[in-house]
Amino acid sequence: MIEFKNLSLVYPNGNEGLKNINIKINEGEFVVIVGLSGAGKSTFIRSVNRLVTPTDGELIVDGEDILTHNGKSLRELRKKVGMIFQSYNLVKRSTVLKNVIAGRLGYTGTFRSIFNMYPKEDMELAYENLKRVNIENKLYSRADELSGGQQQRVSIARVLTQKPKVILADEPVASLDPPTSHQVMKYLKQINQEDNITTIVNLHFIDMAMEYADRIIGMRAGEVVYDGPASEVTEKTFEEIYGRTIREDDIRGGEVNE
Amino acid sequence: MSNQLPPKPRTPAKVVKRVIILLAVVALYVWTFSSVNINWERVFSERTLENINRIIPQFFDPAWAETGTILVKMVETIFIAYTGSLAAAVLAIPLAFLCASNMVKNKFLNTIGMWILGAVRAFPEIILAIIFVAAVGPNPFAGVLAIAIGSTGMLGKLYSEVIESIDMNIIEALEASGANKMQILFYGIMPQVLPEFLSYAIYRFEIDVRASSVLGIVGAGGIGTLITFAYLNRNWDEVGMILLVIIIAVTIIDQISGFIRRRLV
Amino acid sequence: MNKTDEFIPTSLYPAKTKRTISIAFIVVIGFYLVSSITTESFIINFFLKLGNITDLVGRFFPPDWGYVNNVWPKLFETIHMAIIATTIAVIISVPFCLLAAHNITTNKWLYNSMRMILNIIRTIPDIILAVVFVGLFGIGVFSGIIALIIFAVGILVKLMSEIIEAIDMHPSEAIRASGGNTIQTIWYAVVPQILPQFISFSLYVFEINIRASVVLGLVGAGGVGQLINKEINFLNYPAVSTIVLIIFAVVVVIDWISGKLREGLV
Repeated sequence: MIEFKNLSLVYPNGNEGLKNINIKINEGEFVVIVGLSGAGKSTFIRSVNRLVTPTDGELIVDGEDILTHNGKSLRELRKKVGMIFQSYNLVKRSTVLKNVIAGRLGYTGTFRSIFNMYPKEDMELAYENLKRVNIENKLYSRADELSGGQQQRVSIARVLTQKPKVILADEPVASLDPPTSHQVMKYLKQINQEDNITTIVNLHFIDMAMEYADRIIGMRAGEVVYDGPASEVTEKTFEEIYGRTIREDDIRGGEVNE
Repeated sequence: MSNQLPPKPRTPAKVVKRVIILLAVVALYVWTFSSVNINWERVFSERTLENINRIIPQFFDPAWAETGTILVKMVETIFIAYTGSLAAAVLAIPLAFLCASNMVKNKFLNTIGMWILGAVRAFPEIILAIIFVAAVGPNPFAGVLAIAIGSTGMLGKLYSEVIESIDMNIIEALEASGANKMQILFYGIMPQVLPEFLSYAIYRFEIDVRASSVLGIVGAGGIGTLITFAYLNRNWDEVGMILLVIIIAVTIIDQISGFIRRRLV
Repeated sequence: MNKTDEFIPTSLYPAKTKRTISIAFIVVIGFYLVSSITTESFIINFFLKLGNITDLVGRFFPPDWGYVNNVWPKLFETIHMAIIATTIAVIISVPFCLLAAHNITTNKWLYNSMRMILNIIRTIPDIILAVVFVGLFGIGVFSGIIALIIFAVGILVKLMSEIIEAIDMHPSEAIRASGGNTIQTIWYAVVPQILPQFISFSLYVFEINIRASVVLGLVGAGGVGQLINKEINFLNYPAVSTIVLIIFAVVVVIDWISGKLREGLV
């Protein structure tokens, strides 16, 4: 369970990233955060694994207030909270397998990780996760030989390899085309259901949010302006969240449902 | 778990290549360390300790009294570098055009030009200085010649790369409007390459100031002459002062030339 | 009619540009004349006295081929010096590269002081380093190697810290987000991105070190330069030209090999 209690974040330049957020996210939920760019979605998500540090309030993850974490305890938190990025963030010159095994770094000693001395189970786990996203045949390819969609699947495999309790995804499909976007979202949804991993995804596209989310949280200017089950959301709700009418580029399109 | 990792694909050619490189590197190191002749007894002798006690304090207590003489020689050093690099900046232009494959459409001439420039670059300036000292006597002119020739090699290569990267459409347009070869050179090519030529020439001047400060060691004028005297007479406080002057002068020149180059491009 | 209608451009450039260019031109030429006169060196002399100069340079020819066998031991010493110095310099420069890159070393104070030290080291000519170390450790290879190491570290750290500053920081964000510590982040996200350039620059520094170690011998820091110094003092010019030609050939061959290796890397 993740709980935001009166959480605020003011950047050093005075910008308010988050304003007094109070949200409870239950275990196993698939939450989609929507909002225009600059609404604070990214700050919201990055607070959960402390890539940014909120300046006020409490943020409870797995029963602990994570704002006090630093050094070792912070790395323990990040082992539990996996993250997927818009630009995949793979090491382009390394092989797919090496990128995926990087998910075990939090569990592996510095010395062992430098000399690639991973236990057999870790290697098998990495390979199994590549199989789950159907990219096991690219095992020894260099990451920069893969297409965007393939790279994002590798980054999902990397996250799975760290055996997280929570997966954060920051605009995971913004750099992909519509069919690939749906493929990536389906993998995320499937993993969420099969492994009961709490999943928080930032999205801009309203059709994708409605299709994949259990629950939608709307943000504007650092504040939560909507919070409700995806089934109750309509285009009207989005217009209220965005503060303007829906445009073509707010909709991803592609396949609607099979 | 039944998830056996498939074996890593290896092509034999790659493995052989790696083994060869590895063996070559190992052989190189074995050869080096087995034959290098370091006199460890001398290095870790009492004399070294004495030297350290004697030289280091002197070195960090520069001879301020010599400031005047040293500054005069530093100015001479800068003059040598300036004269040499300006000459090189001009000499390099025709050579660069000769090497640029979009200007001289003759592979043979291009290659010859490249060879000349490459050959010049292979000589350290100080070796050139030795030759010119023998030819024109131990004076600053020998230094100027060494700098001029040495810099021409590098500038010619950089210039030719600049020329090869220019936009040829403009030249086509000028040809179409009936311009002759000289007009094309001055209206089509020069405006495109001049800022970068200048920037490289100034950059080379920075390098030349460093280079000309040591040419005096072989008698080619400048502050290096003083280094030899100070060193032979074991005046370490003077060596310290000379070094201080060089560091300050080079830093100032780097700053100025960096400023000009940023304005240029 | 107002005034602007009568305006006919008389020049292709605005007056201000013209003035700036003219002043710059006068300064450049003026400074050239001052330099030429004080150093009594007129490039034109080179061409006017070309015959004279060729005569004098002619003393270097023909090279004394009988001297070749005297060159090898010292030449190998030069190469050994360059190999040892480059190897040690590469190892030493690793931590300093990281400290001198602002995206890795976020501590401003540490970063700026690293940069300052680096800039000062790079202004010291290699031969002065050699002079000082020969003074300390006596004539021989050891002094030369130490001088080359310091010289090479200066160049390598400068080049590499710039490469590190230009890397993609996204992967390191991902490694940190999955719980990696600082060393793991550097090893998994930074090293793979910079390794090819690092090797390439190491080879480049090796090329520079070969050239530099030729020179260091002139002040007694070991290598083939010592031989040059000796033969010049004996006015044995044909021997000098033999040495110079051999150095030239070796430098060209080593540059070529290292160039080929570097091409294969990137």
